[in-house]
Amino acid sequence: MDFAENNPNGSIDRDQASVSEKVAAKALDQAFIEEQKRIFKNSWVPVCHESELPEPYDFRTSSIGNENVIICRAPDGKINALLNVCPHRGMLIERRPQGSFLEGQASGNPKRITCMFHAWQFDMRGNCVYVAREKEGYQDRFCKDDAGLRRLRCEVNFGGFVWVNMNDQPAVFLEEWAGPAFSSIQSQISSEPLEVVHYHKEVVEMGYRQLMSQSLSAVDSYTAATSFDYGHLVTRHGKADNQDAAKGNSFPSPNAETCTSVRIFPGFTFNLDGPTLNVSTITPLNESQVMIEHRGLAPQMDNKESRHLRSKYYNNKFGPFRLQELSEPEQNESDPVKVNSWYTHYNDEWLRWMDKHPNGETRIAELPTSRSKEGELDENSGLSGPHIVVIGASHAGVAFVDKVRKNGFVGRLTVFDRQVGGPMERPPLSKGFLLGGGETVESKSLLRQKKWYKTNRIKLKTQSNVEAIDTKKKTVTVSSGDVIKYDSLVIASGAIPRELPDAQGMGNAFTLRQPSDANAIRQAANNSDTVVIIGGGYIGLEVAASLRKKGMTVTVIEAAERILARVASKPLADRLTKLHEDNGVQVLTGVGVDSINAEAGIFESVTLTSGEKIVGDMLITGIGVFPDSTLAASAGIETQRKDGGAILVDEAMRTSEKDVFAVGDVALRRDQLLAIESVHNAQETAAVAAAAVTGSITPTIQTPWFWSDQYDVKLQSVGVVPINDDDVYQVARPGKREGAVSFWSYRGDDLVAVEVVNDPATYMEARQCLDTKQYPDPEQISNPSFSPIDSGGARS
Amino acid sequence: MDSESNDMENNSSVDIERKIERIIYQAALALDKNNWADWFKLCDDSFFYAITSFSPEISKDMTYFSGDKKELTGLMEMLPKHNTDHSPLHRHTSVYTIDVSEDGKTAEAVSSVVIYQNMLDGINSHLDSGESRLFVIGKYHDKFVIDGGEPKFVNRETKIDNRRLDKGSHWPL
Repeated sequence: MDFAENNPNGSIDRDQASVSEKVAAKALDQAFIEEQKRIFKNSWVPVCHESELPEPYDFRTSSIGNENVIICRAPDGKINALLNVCPHRGMLIERRPQGSFLEGQASGNPKRITCMFHAWQFDMRGNCVYVAREKEGYQDRFCKDDAGLRRLRCEVNFGGFVWVNMNDQPAVFLEEWAGPAFSSIQSQISSEPLEVVHYHKEVVEMGYRQLMSQSLSAVDSYTAATSFDYGHLVTRHGKADNQDAAKGNSFPSPNAETCTSVRIFPGFTFNLDGPTLNVSTITPLNESQVMIEHRGLAPQMDNKESRHLRSKYYNNKFGPFRLQELSEPEQNESDPVKVNSWYTHYNDEWLRWMDKHPNGETRIAELPTSRSKEGELDENSGLSGPHIVVIGASHAGVAFVDKVRKNGFVGRLTVFDRQVGGPMERPPLSKGFLLGGGETVESKSLLRQKKWYKTNRIKLKTQSNVEAIDTKKKTVTVSSGDVIKYDSLVIASGAIPRELPDAQGMGNAFTLRQPSDANAIRQAANNSDTVVIIGGGYIGLEVAASLRKKGMTVTVIEAAERILARVASKPLADRLTKLHEDNGVQVLTGVGVDSINAEAGIFESVTLTSGEKIVGDMLITGIGVFPDSTLAASAGIETQRKDGGAILVDEAMRTSEKDVFAVGDVALRRDQLLAIESVHNAQETAAVAAAAVTGSITPTIQTPWFWSDQYDVKLQSVGVVPINDDDVYQVARPGKREGAVSFWSYRGDDLVAVEVVNDPATYMEARQCLDTKQYPDPEQISNPSFSPIDSGGARS
Repeated sequence: MDSESNDMENNSSVDIERKIERIIYQAALALDKNNWADWFKLCDDSFFYAITSFSPEISKDMTYFSGDKKELTGLMEMLPKHNTDHSPLHRHTSVYTIDVSEDGKTAEAVSSVVIYQNMLDGINSHLDSGESRLFVIGKYHDKFVIDGGEPKFVNRETKIDNRRLDKGSHWPL
């Protein structure tokens, strides 16, 4: 959004005081403070672009809601966002707008973030690595491991922008929050690496809402506009203004002649205009001033001529010396706010965040909580109406309670989880988590922080195992002996990893499912040099990659003729096999395990069916899971087999008992042959069940997707690759980046699945193809210049 | 070369430097008055103008504005049809270095420039008009062609330090 265009006569900030002085002077304005606290400190904010910190140890500083933030790139290339405030005395640490920690500074060592006041030092993840006179000054009263810079939620997405949320538990994930709005330009802005080539900022003399009002009042003249949830808006208009500049030099295809503006609440606009991408982000300074930062982006691979043409075009449209069309006189602060449907859409969202919505809708529900007789917080106290009990606080269980609240359910919600601590994120357990060195599971790995349960009035009972279900009396019996009555029951008990009988009870032999499993593996790995992994599935391979990165000698044993035999195409499996072998992992396929050997009860070796003996310090078994349906089967709820298997459900995830639902890995729809074990499936089935319980509209099920990280390779797949289907074939499509490739699986002319390696833009295109059933021609898909989503190339 | 011709050459070089200094100040006066015609008279037909800046925020050299004489002329004709801030700008210029080429046909100069803005219109001209404030700081990097002993601008790069540029001016600085 070119905010300034809607403020045509806006003038220079004529106060001689610096911005920071003015911020301090005017920060007492209560409305401004409320907006900062409620909206900006809870929103996803694009603080910079990844190209602004291209190398390890590069950093950039920014601020959100008057809080100073530092964004830095760690040695492994990952971008982290930290509060730029020393935990010692609360002083601002880094004062430069951008730079590198690679070289030492006058008051800091190389590769460290150093506070100039007392020389406390931090690494690129915010861990405190040095405290001056730690032992002499603090003795045992303090340890640097207890300090550290506050780490903020940070993701890189939507064209390589770095998004930060000051709230540790955002109301919604970034992808869910902004993904639908970005879908119209995602393929263009992600098709190749971009870099920021223009930057300037301006301060406009009006308050935040006034600016938004003026900006949105211009939307009516646009040819098309679409509103999205969370207050976002996408507008499209006309042909690009400067045809000469745009001609033959469009922004990565196919948006040569249309200006598409993705306006993200509360005030970040991505303008894809002819050959240019402009991103304008706002930072309210006080009740009457807003700073707008303008970034111009271009493909990194641009040649000089293209870059020059884009620059000319950009300067004419978005540069600080651009011309402004004569227009209506601007509004004064005292004028009533202009209202149109788009402003109403924005304002509704503003009201939700500010807790002022006339319908009581809110984004941050800070409902009062009360305490039970035992003094324990009882989130259900004071609530009336139906009681929903959820068994299992897995991804599916937590997604269900989240969705059911968002659907407007106001009754009681109780979640029983047999695990210690809160529900955890599962995907990182086999990846980055294993690389850490701590002895505990970090709170940042929690699916939701404790406050979230309080806020949403969800009673979470951990270390509570449900031992019986009585579907007649509609009760569950908990390990504590309590019998709890329910109106609706949701089973989200997940799955249990398969174990090899020989390895049961053996020391240093592990499976991986729960955070406690990952923690045990991590501890054992810290004292081991070699590991044997049985099973060449995703879990086994991710663990192999993580432990190899840790420096261990790794052997993977797979009984099938290739790895990923049940879940991935052969071309992808071959590529991943080579990846692991290139990284020094020994991958053995087509060979079974004859015996697992221990010495003094501790794992010692694996004897293969070939007679070969593989010795190791630890063993990890990753040979699949089976649904944890014993409880349901015992209660007479229909399962695949009488003795177990998945719980069978209908399209609404309802089991054979009308008030009992099953979601996630434990459930299987009667009309499907195959259970899908993924976070996506957990979330989708949870949303369907939540809709059924609350009588809401059933959400559309998206094509299944999945992702995996191994070494520096990001794999994304969409759709389900049919296995052992002779009619299915794959076509390889080279990506534009080095090492990028995708494998498109077809049955005849029908696209059934796409597996993508290091190519997020192609992944988005593939999702779009499968979701819309627009199948690109298999004979052309191998041509990287052929666009799979171009209507000319797609066929349904 | 005898001493007399050396003196003549030295005198000629000094003379050219004075003329270059003078033309830079004349340009400042013409630009202060928005007298584009007088400014263009000081420029060769091949004149090219740009406003650039280095951004430490993104570690990049940037061009904010650029154009040849034809494009600049077009801009001057268009300006009355667009919104702009009419607050006059006052350029304080100091010529730092002048380097005349050995053959005496070209020269380069670097000048400091500080531009003040005398407020005229804006949000509330009742309060703001008449106030002067700092607008932009930077340097002029000028190139000249010298024909018949008379220098003319062939290139001006106004290298500004500002990256915060609030709305106000579309004129060449």
